[in-house]
Amino acid sequence: MATDLTERVQEIAEARGIPESEILEQALERGVEDLWVDLVLSRYVNDEIDRETAIDLVGRDRVKRAERELQTVEDDVRWGLSA
Amino acid sequence: MILAVADTGPIIHLDEIGVLELLSVIDEVLIPQTVYQELEAGTIPPALESIEYELVEADVTGHDVDLDPGETAALAVASERTAVLLTDDLAARDAANARDVEVHGSIGIIVLAYSRGELAKSEAAKLMRALQAETSLFITDAVVERGIALLDET
Repeated sequence: MATDLTERVQEIAEARGIPESEILEQALERGVEDLWVDLVLSRYVNDEIDRETAIDLVGRDRVKRAERELQTVEDDVRWGLSA
Repeated sequence: MILAVADTGPIIHLDEIGVLELLSVIDEVLIPQTVYQELEAGTIPPALESIEYELVEADVTGHDVDLDPGETAALAVASERTAVLLTDDLAARDAANARDVEVHGSIGIIVLAYSRGELAKSEAAKLMRALQAETSLFITDAVVERGIALLDET
């Protein structure tokens, strides 16, 4: 895995013609952004923040997608338990 | 008795976490030829051999939906045979709901395996997390945790 990451960083850096350090910086920013979105959606689906706050923080599309996923997961769990 | 038609999604996703055999908790599994051909375009999961299923032809006449051919075929068979559609695709789920076809996905199969005694609750929860983390199925991790919490309430 570490080798894969190293090779990918090298390949991206070469393809874009920018230093590997800059690729790592961008990767960190994207990673933190993803984790932030996960945290906000987690707080929303657990009723710790309201819908409007979640939309303000991560955008309407992400919130709507999470709502749709939640509906399907809850539906699947109930079906699996009762079928 | 559960009669269900499988789209490619649950077959691929359950195989990706090494539990395709759980599909056998469904009493009768139908796989449209089109879905099988889509699987063949990649690699047929070897574990599919351990499951009893019937290959069926789909008549998609009248099923004018914006889905890929496998999903369309699975929806057509489910509609024709009053079967459950098994898919992990949200658009396919919407199309099924619009046609009053019962629809569920990989998480439903895992939970069904638990309720039929094939898995412990902890194993079911672990597999639900693996679906989110280790497969090509896109699902928000917080949503999976909510599903596990629902399972824990039982």
